Amino acid sequence: MSGIYLHIPFCKQACSYCDFYFVTRQEIRKDFVNRICEEIDRYAATRYSEEPVKTIYLGGGTPSLLEVGEIERIFIHIEKVFRLEPEEITMEINPDDVTVDYLKGLRSLGIDRASMGIQSFDADRLIFMNRAHTPDEARFSLEVLSRAGFRIFTTDLIYGNPGQETEELEADIDQLLAFDPPHISAYALTIEPRTRLGKQVELGRLNPADDDLVSDHIDLLNEKLSANGIYRYEVSNYSKPGFEAVHNGSYWRHENYLGFGPSSHSFWWDDEKGASRWKSENNINLYLSEPFEELYMEKENLPMDELGEERLFLGLRTSAGVSLDELHNRYDYQLSARQREWISQKKDEGLLQFDKQIIALTGDGVKIADHLIVELLTRK
Amino acid sequence: MNNIRNFCIIAHIDHGKSTLADRLLEKTGTITEREMQAQVLDDMDLERERGITIKSHAIRMDYKRPNGETYIFNLIDTPGHVDFAYEVSRALKACEGALLIVDAAQGIEAQTISNLYQAIDQNLEIVPVLNKIDLPGADPEGISQQIVDLIGCEPDEILKVSGKTGEGVEELMEAIVERIPGPKREAEKPLRALIFDSIFNTYRGSIAYVRVMEGTLRKGDSIYFMETQIDEYDAEEIGYLKLKKEPTDKLEAGEVGYVIGSVKSLQDARVGDTITHSKNRATEPIPGYKEVKPMVFSGIYPTNAEDFEDLRGALEKLQLNDASLQYQPETSKALGFGFRTGFLGLLHMEIVQERLDREFNMDIITTVPNVKYEVVVSHKGEEFKKLVDNPSEMPDAGKVETVFEPYIKASIITPADYIGPIMKLCQDRRGVYINQLFMQNNRVEIIYELPMAEVVFDFYDKLKSGTRGYASLDYEFIEYRKGDLVRLDILLNGEPVDALSSITHRDKAYEQGRKICGKLKELIPRQQYEVAVQAAIGSRVIARDTIRALKKDVTAKCYGGDITRKRKLIEKQKEGKKRMKQVGSVDIPQEAFLAVLSMDEDDR
Repeated sequence: MSGIYLHIPFCKQACSYCDFYFVTRQEIRKDFVNRICEEIDRYAATRYSEEPVKTIYLGGGTPSLLEVGEIERIFIHIEKVFRLEPEEITMEINPDDVTVDYLKGLRSLGIDRASMGIQSFDADRLIFMNRAHTPDEARFSLEVLSRAGFRIFTTDLIYGNPGQETEELEADIDQLLAFDPPHISAYALTIEPRTRLGKQVELGRLNPADDDLVSDHIDLLNEKLSANGIYRYEVSNYSKPGFEAVHNGSYWRHENYLGFGPSSHSFWWDDEKGASRWKSENNINLYLSEPFEELYMEKENLPMDELGEERLFLGLRTSAGVSLDELHNRYDYQLSARQREWISQKKDEGLLQFDKQIIALTGDGVKIADHLIVELLTRK
Repeated sequence: MNNIRNFCIIAHIDHGKSTLADRLLEKTGTITEREMQAQVLDDMDLERERGITIKSHAIRMDYKRPNGETYIFNLIDTPGHVDFAYEVSRALKACEGALLIVDAAQGIEAQTISNLYQAIDQNLEIVPVLNKIDLPGADPEGISQQIVDLIGCEPDEILKVSGKTGEGVEELMEAIVERIPGPKREAEKPLRALIFDSIFNTYRGSIAYVRVMEGTLRKGDSIYFMETQIDEYDAEEIGYLKLKKEPTDKLEAGEVGYVIGSVKSLQDARVGDTITHSKNRATEPIPGYKEVKPMVFSGIYPTNAEDFEDLRGALEKLQLNDASLQYQPETSKALGFGFRTGFLGLLHMEIVQERLDREFNMDIITTVPNVKYEVVVSHKGEEFKKLVDNPSEMPDAGKVETVFEPYIKASIITPADYIGPIMKLCQDRRGVYINQLFMQNNRVEIIYELPMAEVVFDFYDKLKSGTRGYASLDYEFIEYRKGDLVRLDILLNGEPVDALSSITHRDKAYEQGRKICGKLKELIPRQQYEVAVQAAIGSRVIARDTIRALKKDVTAKCYGGDITRKRKLIEKQKEGKKRMKQVGSVDIPQEAFLAVLSMDEDDR
C-alpha cells in the first residue's frame, strides 16, 4: 500500500511564517496541471504502480486554487496509472476559497477529508500571519463543510505566536471546538529563517515567544482538547479516536509514498538493505520545462541503520511510540546498553513509558522531545 | 671585491613588505613571473591568509648592476608581530643593513619602531623606503618627515617605491649595493655561524638557516652547537637558500645558507645558537642567545576524550616546526586529559589552535589564556615559592602569602585624537602611566606599564576597535610585581568547574564574577533541570545566576514527507551535543570555556 502526495504550488500571497515552496502566478496553472499529469503518467507499468494506493494528499501551496475540473483531470491520470484502494483522500483548503458548490465538487471527486487552513480566528493574528482570509470566512468555511458532505475534516491552528496571550489561544480553541472537529493539527509557530517573520527576528524587530509561554500553551491545548474527547497522538496532531490522519501517519511509519509537483518528496523501499528518498526541484519554471530526470535531486539511499534511527525518533513523536521489536525485526536496529540505561532513567523521571517493548514519551516528555531524542541518539 | 649584501626588511603588517620582496625576486631573476605565487616568502597557508609573516625565512638573489658587476643579496625576512620579537632580533643579527619600509599613506607604527631601534642598536645601516607611493591617499611629504625625525636621515636619502607597480625598485637595488656595507669576510678565523631560523623536515630533520659570521663551514664538517653543547652532528649538506635549496661545498664568513645534519629535533638546533667546529672550536658563542620562554598559557583538551593521543601527536608534530611551543600533560576534573600549553603570545596561541584545527583536524576545547604567576605559599610556618600557570593550581587564599605577576612595558602609537580612549583602556587594565612623546603628523607614543594578564586576551582588540584600527602596540616583559590577586572559581550546581577558574585582581573580582555568570547563563543551553551558576572566591559566593529548566524543546512540524529535513536538524543537534562537555549532569558548550574572552566591551 502506498500514498500519493500532490504539491500544488500556487498561493494568493505569502503567509509570514511559511517556507514551503509556492508561486503567485496563477496564469501558469493550466501548464502545471498538464505537467503534473505527465509526471503521473511516467509511473505507468513501473514497480511503483504495482502497489495499491491507500491515500492521496493534495497539499501546497494552496490546492484550493485549482478548479474542480483541474483536480478531476489529475485524478483521471492517477486512476489510469495506479490501482486505487483509497482509505483517505485529503485536500488542503483555504477558507477564502470555500463555496458550497466548490466543496460539493471536491466531494464528488472522492475527496473525503478537508484540511482547513484556519490557523486563527483572531483578525489581528490573521493579519500578522498575512493570511488571505478573515475570521468570518474561517467560520463560514467550517459551517458549510457538513452541508457539502464533508464529515471528516481537520483544521490547522497555530499557537505560540509572538505576544500571544493564553486568553487569545483559549478563544481560538473555543471557537474551533464549536465546530466539533474530529481532527486538529496544532502547530507551535516555528520561525523559519527564510520567511518574513524570520527576517523580522533577524533584524531584531520581533521576539519569538518565550518557551515557557509556549509550554503553557501546550498544556492548555492538551487540557481543553482532551476534555472534548480530542487527544494528542503526535507532537502537533490531535484527533478523536479513530480519526488519526492516515496519509501523514504513513510518513512516520516509513510506508512508501510518491510525491508529484515541484518540491515534493518521495520515499520508496528498495529491498531489505534500505530505501530511497528523493525530492523534486522547487522551481516551477524548471518543473515545466526540464525533463523529469533532471528534476529529481538530493536522491538519498537510506541504509537500514539510518532508517532505524529515523523510525525511532519519528515514533517517539507519536503517542503510540515505537516498538523495539519493530526496530529489531524491520531495521535490525538494537539499542545499546547506554541507551537502555538512559531509558530506564528517563522512565523514572516520568518522561517516558517503557512497557511491553514499546517506548513512548509521556506528555511531559513530548514537550522536550527534541532534547530527549538527541540525548537518546547520542548514546548509541 | 666584497659583493655580498645581507639585509632584512623592517615593516609593519600591510605596509607592503611581501609585495616589495616579490619585486626584488622578480627583478633579480630569482623567480619568474610564472613561479610567482602571491607573496612567495609567506609559504604557510595561514600566513598568507592573515597577511603576516609568522616565521622568518631567507632567500639569496643574484643582482646584476647596470655597470655589469654582480652582487649577491641575502634577504632575511622577519616576522612582524610582537610575539616573535626574539626571532626578529636574531634575524637582525645576521644582517648588515635593513630596509625600513613605511607605508606612504599610514606612517610609522609601534612595531616598526621597536624593530627599528633594535636594528639601530645592532649597528645596521638603515635604508629608508617609502612604499605604496602609487596610492591615492599617499602623503610622501608628511611621512618622510616622520622618518627623518625618527632616524635622523636627510629627506633625499628616502627612497620612494611602489612594490605594486615596480616603480623605484631599480634605485632601491642600487642603494642596497651602495649604502649597506658588505660583511666582514674573516674566513680564516674559527667558525661561528649564527642560527637565525630553523625549520623541521620530516625526512631530513632540522634544517638550520645560518649566517656565517666568521670562519668557513665545509660540507661534512663535524659541528658543535655552542649553547646547547650538542656535539653529535655533521654538516651532511650545506647550501644556499635560493627558491629551492642549492647545495654547495662551503659557506664562508659573510654568507647566508642552510645546514642539514640529520638533527633530530628543533630543540637541538635552536634559534640564536652558534654553530662551530667540533674540533678547533670558537671561544665564545655569538652573544644574545635566549631560551625562548612562553608568556601565555592555556589548557588544550580534546573534545572527545579518546582523541587525547591524537592531540599529543599533533602537538608533537607542531613542536617540531615551532620550538617556542611548549606543552605538558595535565588533567582537569571538568575536561579530562589534556595539555597545558605555553605560547609566546596571543597570536601565537591562535595560530597553534588554528593549525590544530586545520592541519590536524582536531576538535579541541581551549581554556582561557593566562600568564605565569609567582606565588609565595606558607605551609606549616614555612614559606616557599610556587610557579602557577594554571588558575586551578593557585593555592587557596588562606595559604597564599603573596602573588607576583608579570608586568610589561607597552608602547602604543596613535593619532593624538585617541589619547583619551587609550588612557582609559590602560587605566581600566591597571596600567601605570609612564609618559608620552609627541611625534610628527599629530601622532603620539604613549608608554604604560601594565600587568601582562590584563593585556593577554582582548587588550589588542579593544585598542584597535577604540582607535578605528589606527593605534599600534608593542610590548616587552619588564619584571614581576606584587599584586592583590585572587582565584575566582565558577560552580555549576555547587560543583566547581576547574577549567573555568581564573585569576583576577581582587577589586575586579565581583564585577568579573557577575559578568562570567551572566555570560555562562547565555552560553549554556537550558537543560532538563535548573542549573545554578555561581562565582566564588574560596568558599564565599560573590555572584549567582540561574539557568532555568528546559520547558519546551520540540519542533512542531515534521515538514510533511520531507523527513530528511527533520533528520538533518537532529544530526546538527547531535553534533552540537557531542561537542559539549558534560560536567556532572550539565552539558557545557566549548565556547563557555572561553566565556571571559567573549564578554563585550562595556561588559569589562
